[in-house]
Amino acid sequence: MRTGHFKEATGQLVALSDSRVVWFFVALLLAACVAAPFLLGNYQVTLMVSALIAVIGAVGLNMLTGTTGLISLGQAGFLAVGAYTNAILMMDYGWPVWLSLPAGGLVAALISILVGVPSLRLKGLYLAITTLAFAFIINHIILYAEPLTHGPNGIFVSGAKVLGVDLQRGKALYYLTLGTTVLVVLAALNIQRSRVGRAWMAIRDHDIAARVMGVDLVRYKLLAFMVSSFIVGIAGGLISLQIRFVNIDVFALILSIEALAIIILGGLGSIAGAVLGALFLSFLPEVIRLFFETFADSSSNFYTSYVYEIRGIAYGVVIVAFLRLKPEGLIGLWRDIRKYWSNWPLAY
Amino acid sequence: MRNKLLALTACLLASTASYAADPGVSDTEIKIGDVNIMTGPASFIGRAVAVGSKIAAAEINEAGGVNGRKITIVTEDDGYIPARSFQALTKLIEVDEIFALNGTSGTANVLAMMPLIEENNLPTVVTTAPNELVYDPVRPSVFTIGGSYSDAFYGQLKYIHENLEPENPVYGLIRQDDDFGGAIEHGYERAIEEFGVKDGLRVRFKKGTANFAAEVAQMKQAGVNVLANGGIIAGAANILGEARKLSMDMQVASVWSEDMPPSVNLSAPAGYDYLVADYVALNGPDYDRFMEKARKYASEEEVAAINRYTLVTYVGLSALAEAMKQCGQELTRDCTIEKLRGLKNFDTQGVAAPISFDNEQQLSGTALAIYQLNAADKSFKRLTDFTDY
Amino acid sequence: MDFLLLLISTGLVSGAAYGLIAMGFALIFKSTGVVNFAQGELVMLTAYISFTIYSTFELSFFPLMLVTIPISMLIGLVLERVFIRPMLGEPVFAIVMVTVGLAVILRGITIMIWGPDPFNFTAGLSTNVVYLGSIPFYPAQLYLIAALGVMTLLGWAFLRFTRMGIAMRAVAANETAALLVGISVSRIHAVAWMLSAAIASVAGVLFAANYKLAPDLWFQGLKSFPAVILGGMDSVIGSAMAGLIIGVIENLFQGYIGQGLREISGFIVIIIVLMVRPYGLFGSKDIERV
Repeated sequence: MRTGHFKEATGQLVALSDSRVVWFFVALLLAACVAAPFLLGNYQVTLMVSALIAVIGAVGLNMLTGTTGLISLGQAGFLAVGAYTNAILMMDYGWPVWLSLPAGGLVAALISILVGVPSLRLKGLYLAITTLAFAFIINHIILYAEPLTHGPNGIFVSGAKVLGVDLQRGKALYYLTLGTTVLVVLAALNIQRSRVGRAWMAIRDHDIAARVMGVDLVRYKLLAFMVSSFIVGIAGGLISLQIRFVNIDVFALILSIEALAIIILGGLGSIAGAVLGALFLSFLPEVIRLFFETFADSSSNFYTSYVYEIRGIAYGVVIVAFLRLKPEGLIGLWRDIRKYWSNWPLAY
Repeated sequence: MRNKLLALTACLLASTASYAADPGVSDTEIKIGDVNIMTGPASFIGRAVAVGSKIAAAEINEAGGVNGRKITIVTEDDGYIPARSFQALTKLIEVDEIFALNGTSGTANVLAMMPLIEENNLPTVVTTAPNELVYDPVRPSVFTIGGSYSDAFYGQLKYIHENLEPENPVYGLIRQDDDFGGAIEHGYERAIEEFGVKDGLRVRFKKGTANFAAEVAQMKQAGVNVLANGGIIAGAANILGEARKLSMDMQVASVWSEDMPPSVNLSAPAGYDYLVADYVALNGPDYDRFMEKARKYASEEEVAAINRYTLVTYVGLSALAEAMKQCGQELTRDCTIEKLRGLKNFDTQGVAAPISFDNEQQLSGTALAIYQLNAADKSFKRLTDFTDY
Repeated sequence: MDFLLLLISTGLVSGAAYGLIAMGFALIFKSTGVVNFAQGELVMLTAYISFTIYSTFELSFFPLMLVTIPISMLIGLVLERVFIRPMLGEPVFAIVMVTVGLAVILRGITIMIWGPDPFNFTAGLSTNVVYLGSIPFYPAQLYLIAALGVMTLLGWAFLRFTRMGIAMRAVAANETAALLVGISVSRIHAVAWMLSAAIASVAGVLFAANYKLAPDLWFQGLKSFPAVILGGMDSVIGSAMAGLIIGVIENLFQGYIGQGLREISGFIVIIIVLMVRPYGLFGSKDIERV
């Protein structure tokens, strides 16, 4: 039986993982992801792309809300900024996609400084609702700044080609998203174990204490906003590539609440949690659909008139039931499973 | 360039592949897709559309189907969210393997589906969102039925200008700040310029606004007595309610959603006999004949959900079926598109103006009839025949 | 001049709706520390229930409210028992998330029961215009403003003079200390939900009477956030005041600047106010000891 896990050098404390088994499984997971489009149908690949984009957005939000403790309800706004920047630069200014996509992230990051300024004085829900206010305002500006954004007409996004490969379709889009996801997750993991990440956690746990220890609150809070929004902006750009059309309706404000739902369900503050949460909520409607198609009596009159609403209600019920059973989120579930696995046959 | 390439591939495909190459068609069945708003506050549209598809399909199937093949409808919900429309259509194309699409949700939603429609050369009939953005530029496989919001408002204002002749007219516009509102403003602008009347005030509001007190007060101050009311359902009713409170005497032009019974129930108490322009019949013998058919093929609950969107969908699917029928046994998407393009004066049995897609925009049914509400008994009087504006 | 008075009077009407909805938020937040994302849905659901009662029994306004309010309180209690109580002691975030899930469920249920079509719901009030000076009003508009006044007064009296109200303030101030002096915190939570649902029903019925009853009524919950924040999250009276302020500001923005600014003016105002007073106009300052 194992007696414990000892770390003998400081380097080991910050290593991503010192377990070969973990690396092995990560490699296996990656290989499965790479092979996926060859094994799955086109629709499943489309779903995977959407789920991966959700993962990117969730990891971004998690940096701000989970790691730094600044709650944001402004994600829909940053997604829109990223998507619109990418679309405008590509279609109106003829930028290549490999420049316009990061530019979308950069513009989102710049705008986030503006949103971040109130966070220097506000906390908790006051901040959350101020960020919601910014999402409303961004929405308004996009609709009214017609010469730049085409206002309500939206923009078709096409021709994202790199070396002759169309990045907006099928496998190419999938690999672009997968690659971005891997990069974002790696970057997030690395930032979290650096000086910056530790400063953020210090701010989350107690901002005054953090300041006493020499963490520059202004700098680090704004940095959190910028890094997070950069990532969310990239996710927005990817949405514009996938749907090939941007319009303000694509970025409904309810998305902000869904984004928060993802990281809370996944387990606040954990990157793995954000990933799990995003995958869970992306596939949940699909699972519910399959469930109903398999088990519900589709001929019953009641069911046929309200099948779609019933699915929506089931979505809410699953969220509530899950939180009732596992308030720490999916990551808590994962930890329990791991503990059980490594301690078996003992309970503790 | 891309269009040419597409056409070339299409030609190649048509010449080499047999008809079995196109998905959604078997010896006994044709699958038609429908992406619509089945959840949320706007789901009255999706439900009405579903009933329209059902009635048309039942009628066609009972008459022996399309050359012996029965029509099956596959509906997906998008909740009015463009990103979900995209996913829903992906599912319909990849998993359900639909042959054509009749039912495309709102304007932003059909635009979000457009790249997929073009890529798959999917014969598509757009009936619920006849917005200029849909047919300009024209997409080879997309056919639009319905007058534009722009024409609808121009037509109503023209009727007011020529027939109702208010004294010292001051026109005012209140419209949503999105693509739908923009289209209304086009029609409004055209009317103002053409008639040389006084443009009192234009205001925009955000989707979902409930309180219009300030807007109506502005209208009152500007002395507006001809109002182009771009509000819908509860919004339109709240605008009229506020106007009544300020005892404004005015002629009102409205969006066609205001001819649906629930909208009328909300708006009628304000007492304005507003106008509506619509591209389907709202009453008369043709309408009664349609309702008789509806009662035959749909359940009581479904009949209760019928509104104008049911009729437009019925027309759309009938036109699509006609084109498919003309293709004979060798049914392909290319053939359907070609036959749709050649469709001329297809009889809708008076439910809408006859359908002809043989124009550059592949647009038909643009003729609008103008109706006026009688607020006292909540009925509509038909003022004009189907007219093109 | 009339134009200005008109803008202010109608601003007070929509502001009263914001204020009532915000009071509901504040009551739950004050005593449980949870932002109830389902508050807008609660407003919608209770309004629909009241509509059914109204169309079945054709009651006039006051009897209607007399029936609606207890039923709404019962619903508040049931929701608290079923969804929130089991989460007692869990992280606040998890509870907030439960209310998000609850919101999805309530929205679906409302459409399943009443369908997507909007209704004209007069709540038994006359629709004849009445004049106060030169300003015209619908009775429902005056009732809405009056309801805010009455609820504010009742809320103030309840929190100031009743045993339960004082206990609620104790729980808000310090939950553990309140437990130690023998206050049943879980009962206080239940009462907070019941009262919040009661306020929601008043808000819902009068909102519907003024602006029609439709299944997008829940969105008013999000729209009331500026009032919630301006009032300072935990101040029941402050929310009422803030609602009126936001309502009037919105109308003035729209009336004098226009361009669809109404819908975002409330948010612009709170950003400015919060930069100066981070706890809103009436919120309690949270003094941190280091």
